[in-house]
Amino acid sequence: MDYANLRRQAASLKRSLFDQGYLDEQFCQVEDLQDEASPNFAEEVVSLFFKDSARLVTNIEQAMEKYPKDFNRWDAHMQQLRGSCFSIGASKMNNECTSFRNSCREENAEGCRRSFQKVKREHAVLRQKLESYFQLLRQAGPARTTAVRSGGK
Amino acid sequence: MDRRRIRVLLVEDEEINRVVARAVLRAAGVEADEAENGAEAVRRVRERVGAGAYDLILTDKQMPVMDGHEATRQIRAMGVTTPIVAVSSDSLPSDVQAFITAGADDFMPKPLTKEKLGCILSKFGLA
Repeated sequence: MDYANLRRQAASLKRSLFDQGYLDEQFCQVEDLQDEASPNFAEEVVSLFFKDSARLVTNIEQAMEKYPKDFNRWDAHMQQLRGSCFSIGASKMNNECTSFRNSCREENAEGCRRSFQKVKREHAVLRQKLESYFQLLRQAGPARTTAVRSGGK
Repeated sequence: MDRRRIRVLLVEDEEINRVVARAVLRAAGVEADEAENGAEAVRRVRERVGAGAYDLILTDKQMPVMDGHEATRQIRAMGVTTPIVAVSSDSLPSDVQAFITAGADDFMPKPLTKEKLGCILSKFGLA
């Protein structure tokens, strides 16, 4: 298997995630926290993010259904999701969360609904892209040294 | 000479934020206790009075049971002078001022990073 090519693909995918605004510098900070004791830290955090954010999205959905026009409640739920987005640098999602909160402040229910659809869409796209990224990294395995040991002494 | 380990209390309700902050603190060689809400933070600080106070408290704003503002007020009311730094994604001037008014020493927008932690530790002579 061409591990170097897989790593190149992963690097290219990551670059595109930054170029297209899905991720910001915080994602690099998270990867930078990986060490020998936590070699998969970034993937674990991202996995936790999607588990957490799925729950928060459901909470928002239920709040919008059960408490129509309770903008304070909607905003409080979205604030939690936004906080989660900050942790992994989920920039586009964060922006849509902010749009939602702005609509809450304006008491614009239709604006909230539109923003929420965008939040869900960005969430799904980011999940798919990051799953692909980590799958490539897993297939590539740990970086192998290319140094050739000299034979012997 | 052994350098005394810095002890920090991290006050944060969301698990993902705690996980990332914990890793940042560990990377800086800092010992951290955690509280998931303001009430637990106040309890932990009270338990440590006389037994070796925390060197630094990092607190989120919005939390269940008791928020960061109220926790800060109650900690200050105990006479605790440990530096308290709010770490929150709500970083409007009014949010910052509310924390300062409650008794916090500084405010840092989320998320906590190695660089931000470094600045905080330097500011309070903990680096």
